[in-house]
Amino acid sequence: MEKQWSEMTPAEKRAARFAKWLAPPGIKFVSRRAEQTYRERVNRLIKTITLQTPDRVPVILPMGFFPAFYAGSNLKNVMYDYRELRRAWKQVIRDFDMDVFDPPALVWSARAFEMLDYKLYQWPGHGLAPDASSYQYVEGEYLKAGEYGAMLENPTDFGLRVFLPRVLGALQPFQTLPPSSPLAGMPMSYVMSFSRPEIRRAYQTLLKAGRELEKWGRAVRDCRRAAVKAGVPVLRGGFTTAPFDTLGDSLRGTQGIIMDMYRQPEKILETVERIIPLTIASAVATANASECPIISIPLHKGEDGFMSRQQYEKFYWPSLKRVLTGLINEGIVPLVFAEGRYASRLEIIRDIPRGSVIWWFEQTDLALARKYLGDIACIAGNVPASLLVTGNPSQVKDYCRRIIESAGQGGGLILNGAAFMHRGNPENLRVMMEAAREYGTYR
Amino acid sequence: MDKQWSALTREEKRERRLKKFLSGEGIRFRSSQAEKTYQERASRFLKAWMCQEPDRVPVTLPTGFFPAYYAGGNLKKAMYDYRFLEEAWLKFMHDFYDDMDSFMGPNFVFSGKALEILNYRPYRWPGHGLGDNVNSYQFVEMDYMKADEYPTLLKDPSDFSFRVIVPRAIGSLEALRNFPPLSAIMGMPLIMAYPFTSPEIRAAFQSLIEAGKEMEESQKHMAAVNKEALEMGFPAAGGGLAVAPFDVIADFLRGTQGAILDMYRQPEIMLEAIDMITRWTIERTINNVNASGGFMVSFPLHKGDDTFMSNKQFEKFYWPSLKKVIDALIDEGIMVSLFAEGKYNLRLEYIKDFPKGWVVWQFDQTDMARAKKIVGATCCIAGNVPSSIMLTGTAQEVKEYCRRLIETCAPGGGYVLSGGATATEARPENLRAFMEAAREYGMYR
Repeated sequence: MEKQWSEMTPAEKRAARFAKWLAPPGIKFVSRRAEQTYRERVNRLIKTITLQTPDRVPVILPMGFFPAFYAGSNLKNVMYDYRELRRAWKQVIRDFDMDVFDPPALVWSARAFEMLDYKLYQWPGHGLAPDASSYQYVEGEYLKAGEYGAMLENPTDFGLRVFLPRVLGALQPFQTLPPSSPLAGMPMSYVMSFSRPEIRRAYQTLLKAGRELEKWGRAVRDCRRAAVKAGVPVLRGGFTTAPFDTLGDSLRGTQGIIMDMYRQPEKILETVERIIPLTIASAVATANASECPIISIPLHKGEDGFMSRQQYEKFYWPSLKRVLTGLINEGIVPLVFAEGRYASRLEIIRDIPRGSVIWWFEQTDLALARKYLGDIACIAGNVPASLLVTGNPSQVKDYCRRIIESAGQGGGLILNGAAFMHRGNPENLRVMMEAAREYGTYR
Repeated sequence: MDKQWSALTREEKRERRLKKFLSGEGIRFRSSQAEKTYQERASRFLKAWMCQEPDRVPVTLPTGFFPAYYAGGNLKKAMYDYRFLEEAWLKFMHDFYDDMDSFMGPNFVFSGKALEILNYRPYRWPGHGLGDNVNSYQFVEMDYMKADEYPTLLKDPSDFSFRVIVPRAIGSLEALRNFPPLSAIMGMPLIMAYPFTSPEIRAAFQSLIEAGKEMEESQKHMAAVNKEALEMGFPAAGGGLAVAPFDVIADFLRGTQGAILDMYRQPEIMLEAIDMITRWTIERTINNVNASGGFMVSFPLHKGDDTFMSNKQFEKFYWPSLKKVIDALIDEGIMVSLFAEGKYNLRLEYIKDFPKGWVVWQFDQTDMARAKKIVGATCCIAGNVPSSIMLTGTAQEVKEYCRRLIETCAPGGGYVLSGGATATEARPENLRAFMEAAREYGMYR
């Protein structure tokens, strides 16, 4: 009989997740060739992650929203029209030789966002020019400096009645809901608020947005399945954020969180402590629902230029490390994207089990990263987006060669962009694969 | 409230809250007679509540759902036919206009359709688990919270309520058990939206929306009744209802059996939960009073009755938290009316300890002579014509019972003539006997 999940060691759990990744349940490959290629690609990734030597350096093409533009459309169109979304991402599956496919999970549904009046983003056609190639994140003090106490005392109630109405305009009537905890035990009082038309309207909007997100989710899953069936694995089993960033990005904003590090450091630590288990639980749930054991974590405010080393060690790393450990213990592989520069953090972030995390660097020198982390973690990166967008194919290819030569000895490297290209010459992506084949073959 | 509110004494706070009640300011009275009657009734009650002598003993009838039957219908009809509900209660109000000093509106008649849409498990009602002509609800106690769930309740009560209690108690909301923890909304707002991609979750909320429409409709009719009663000259002290912290656990969360076991097996964590519920109750009740513009809060008390627990348990589990809530309300200038269901003979020494003239004790089966002696010095008392006489006795017997109550309880003021419990299917003349007795035997001057 099989061992119960809860009794398995982290290594056993990971082995089980890798096995599922290698043979995704419910997938009928388009051909035996596709199936074989799929396995080769996943094996290449697994070997690289676990610091064994694969057949060659695997490549992630840093497309971002490139498929929309490549298909003659743009980000705005695919955010509003799921048929366009499908068409664009499926065309990329057909047209590109690639080791990994990134499904359009970050192409949000603009329709749902509009219904909800989502305030954390501006997007093309909604605050940004219609042909803009990315989002603008709108930071704000959605949690005020004096509100930590209220949020910590009752996060659910604070979330419903204070935070949500601030970031989802359609839920503004929630501000007038009575405090929800005193209703515990009296289910009828909970129901009572639905006798108010404005509360019903807010929920009607959630129902509508839910139906929209369901359609959108189907489109994303379709693209994802199409890639896997064609033999291209997906490297995205879910997405989460570092606890400090959850607080700094979406609740306090950059300015607020900087002040808090000086004025109310304890409150930050207490909040981050509360966010850790929520982060782990939701990431594990999404990974469980996916065939892919990779959870990506884009890092923001721990960057070299944002805080001192002491602050990083006090405010940023301990909670991130606990999230990483929590995921690793569940057999999940975190794909941690260190945006900006991370040179001064390399020594600190060594403190994780060997071969359990992918560190993707943006502007950190990969040779340096390799020096600090080479025996600990697989690294990924970092062809600059500027080069991808403005350079020519031979310049890109040359840059890739230098990365492979300086950071790819014996494995442990995934060739990747520093950030997403979004828009540019398709050849600049294709030469990344070429470079890996020419310079990154291990035997 | 202006900014010096916190600097006011409780009496000053009460005075501000009372102003509107006493003057009837803002009410569009139907006639000058209505206005005059309103003011007489308001001051009559207020004096009694404040342990003073009014012009005569005020009368509150044990109405219950009587108006539905008096109008030729029954509770079931009133629950499903909102127009009938409105007509019945208005008819009662007009027909018994001179037989009572206060009017009890139809607020406890729940919308049968809303309860049905929700598949609301804590109640059975006529036509739904009870016979069509049953004249009351059956409360269905259950351990909606399991014995080992106190820590979860304490950790995040809103979340526990939303994802655990509500799906157990409300059949149409079973799917909420699959909702992700709402605390994760912290910084992740779409956590609230994604669950709505599930058709089961959408169906659950659709049922709430449908039930909400029914409730709104039924509330419109109730509001019409309450408004007309006010404009006809029936004062409303309205500060809403509250529940004793122990009863929140024993009635709604753990049920009687569970609560009794907990007093023996896990008293510490039970007290911790009571403590938390006490804090909420204070916060919520004060908010409700401020929002309603009223000044008096009513508590129906259940599990502190003589037979349910020992005095030792009452001292430890029931009374301190309830006392804390009442004291906090009084500090805010809010008066409190407590309905001690069952018998409170063993509790009289505990419950008298309040500043004079702030608390009203309405008794069901408690010995009123002792209550007057022990509690009556500080608190107004009310009660307790038995429902049994109301239903089976003659008008003469009711009147006689009222006379004895008045003779026992009225001297010196601080008494309201009322029933021990409601008397839904009483004879109309038995209700009218209350006022006859009050007029004959209850005049102070």
